[in-house]
Amino acid sequence: MLSIHNTKCECGHQNAVGTVLCESCGKPLMEDQQQNEPLEMRYDGIARRSQKKNQNLIDRIWSFFSSVKIAIYLIVLTFLGATLGTIYPQENTFINNFDIAAYYESTYGTPGKIYQMLGLSHTYESWWFITLLVMIGTSLVICSLDRILPLYRALSKQQIRKHLQFINRQKTVYSAKVDEPAEAWVEQFAAQLKRKRYRVHMDGSALLAEKNRFSRWGPYINHIGLILFLLSILARSLPGWQMDSYITIADGATVPIEGTNYYVKNEKFTVDFYTDDELPPELKGQARAKLYETAAVLYTCSSGCEAGETPVLEEVARHDIIVNSPLKYKGLKLYQFDFDLTPKLISVKPMLINKETGEQYGPFELTMKDAALNYELGPYKMRLIANYMDFAVGENGEPTTLGREPNAPAFVFLITGPGLPEAGQPYMYFPMQKDKEKFGQDQINGALASKVEIKVDGMQNVNFSEASTSLNVRVDKALNFVWVGAAISMIGLLMGSYWQHRRIWLRIDDGQLSLGAHTNKNWYGMRADVAGALQKIGVTVDPKSLDNGGNNA
Amino acid sequence: MKSSRKIMQIVILTAVLIIGGYAIGTTLFASGESGGVPKVGGTPPEFKLVDLQGNVHQLSDYKGKAIVVNFWGTFCPPCVKEMPEFERQFAKWQNDGLEILAINLSEDTLTVNNFVHQFELNYPILRDVDRKTERKYGLRSYPTTFFVKPDGTIMDITVGGMTEEYIDERIAKLLTY
Repeated sequence: MLSIHNTKCECGHQNAVGTVLCESCGKPLMEDQQQNEPLEMRYDGIARRSQKKNQNLIDRIWSFFSSVKIAIYLIVLTFLGATLGTIYPQENTFINNFDIAAYYESTYGTPGKIYQMLGLSHTYESWWFITLLVMIGTSLVICSLDRILPLYRALSKQQIRKHLQFINRQKTVYSAKVDEPAEAWVEQFAAQLKRKRYRVHMDGSALLAEKNRFSRWGPYINHIGLILFLLSILARSLPGWQMDSYITIADGATVPIEGTNYYVKNEKFTVDFYTDDELPPELKGQARAKLYETAAVLYTCSSGCEAGETPVLEEVARHDIIVNSPLKYKGLKLYQFDFDLTPKLISVKPMLINKETGEQYGPFELTMKDAALNYELGPYKMRLIANYMDFAVGENGEPTTLGREPNAPAFVFLITGPGLPEAGQPYMYFPMQKDKEKFGQDQINGALASKVEIKVDGMQNVNFSEASTSLNVRVDKALNFVWVGAAISMIGLLMGSYWQHRRIWLRIDDGQLSLGAHTNKNWYGMRADVAGALQKIGVTVDPKSLDNGGNNA
Repeated sequence: MKSSRKIMQIVILTAVLIIGGYAIGTTLFASGESGGVPKVGGTPPEFKLVDLQGNVHQLSDYKGKAIVVNFWGTFCPPCVKEMPEFERQFAKWQNDGLEILAINLSEDTLTVNNFVHQFELNYPILRDVDRKTERKYGLRSYPTTFFVKPDGTIMDITVGGMTEEYIDERIAKLLTY
């Protein structure tokens, strides 16, 4: 493609290797160009930076990425690769941590297994996909630099008087005899072009008029935006830049957010359902949520954050989270995601009653989770010696627990006090009335049951969580940069597509006018500009007749 | 002019190498431990947990040793049955370098203490909090036991109860590595 020939133009200008049209006078330099075809005006005929002789390794890498053909291959490959990721759901769309390999095989059969084994279940995080993105990014930077710098130079020092071949081989041309003095005609024509907001440069009987040059920078600004976009996406792999996880918090509970220094408290979860009056007939009788809201408090852990220590928390933010109104704090967002309305017992405040005298002691607080071990109630002392969250009697007749959730909690206290043995006597307490009856609390406690009783007085002394809320924790620091990148890219796109760079060259040699005009798109408008300006100085031409053939005319 | 162009080329290509290398490198590194759930041949997720005496144990403290990581709860009968069996196995193989780490499934202190005193267990009983470690290991049912080779890779994962002969056999095999 690169013919090694003398790169010096007849006008005396020394052009770089790969130059198509002389940088100074515009004379076509490539012998293989058809003699009368309109000229190839891409990048004003300048050589790309990478086009040079004796390429070393760096130059070769540079030219590889500088090629638009390579860029298109890369983009097509990336598109094809991206489509592979849409065949089955991606791993990161699953919320729970489970055996992913088994999931794909059991859900989609052998194709699913192959899909997972090929790593397509995480296509967009795969090394080859990221490699393609990096290569596209490199190609964007190098392609742009390789073209914009020479183009900028070429456009900022344009020769006014162009070679006749250059003018006559434009796609929009006009030639005629001019009877008036050349310079007067040019002045007149220039005035008309100025009215059309052209910037006009004159050199005696030659003229260069130009408008909307800035639209040429559109594609490069677009590329800057795209590069920023790509960089932001790649930046998501930086630690702390992206996070997407889920936490479930019971009413009143505080839980840490894994991988951060934050803790979240769910002060109260509220759900409102539509009443039947508010629902259309086909939905009547269904529980349709109208509002779900988590009164959330965000804390940071200031000390004691390690395993086994008691964290010291500092409140940093609070917000009533509803759908589409997340709690936001320094890039961390907590979205309402789900809820569970199964009530869970948190604590009770029972009294200790001396059944013989009727005297009451307490109340004392008994939490289901990590209850205190020792209690002093008047003359009585109680020590918690065992607890069962989901009480049951095991095969061997021993008490046991069926689970770790307080579904049927039971507590065994060793009680000492008036009328009781010094070593104490064990007393089994079921906070829930249903369990008390089911398991027979009084029978278990035997004679002690007639001496003392632990009893909750009224629902105001029972503290339970009515619900638990699930929140989606998100961090995406890259997102702002993605938006900025997208905005820049859009600005570039508009610059390049809503305006066209239009140029008109003309020269009058011995009364012979030669006019050529070039634009990058909208040739109709280009011809109309030329014909309109000529019309104003008394030369009537049909705009169509200015067309010199060639593509996209 | 020529040399500044060369410098620009080198600067840009170096930037590409650094940024691209980092981006691709992290994907390669991440794919090594992806899937979330530990698998046979993979490495078990790191944890840092406290035992009943308040000592902190990290999985990485046991690097180079044959480890049995067992998740258990007092509410799970097969787990309860296994605990004294592990105690006997621990006594048998302790001098050969066996370590047993029994991670309790986020139960409260009293429950765990009562249980451990009842059986007089001598291997470390670690306390998971808020089911964090359990989630990291992707547990679905209890007990689940991970046999970890001295090179830090998982030899076997057993979900569900095991007989003492089975445990013995696994540990014997584990210690041959």
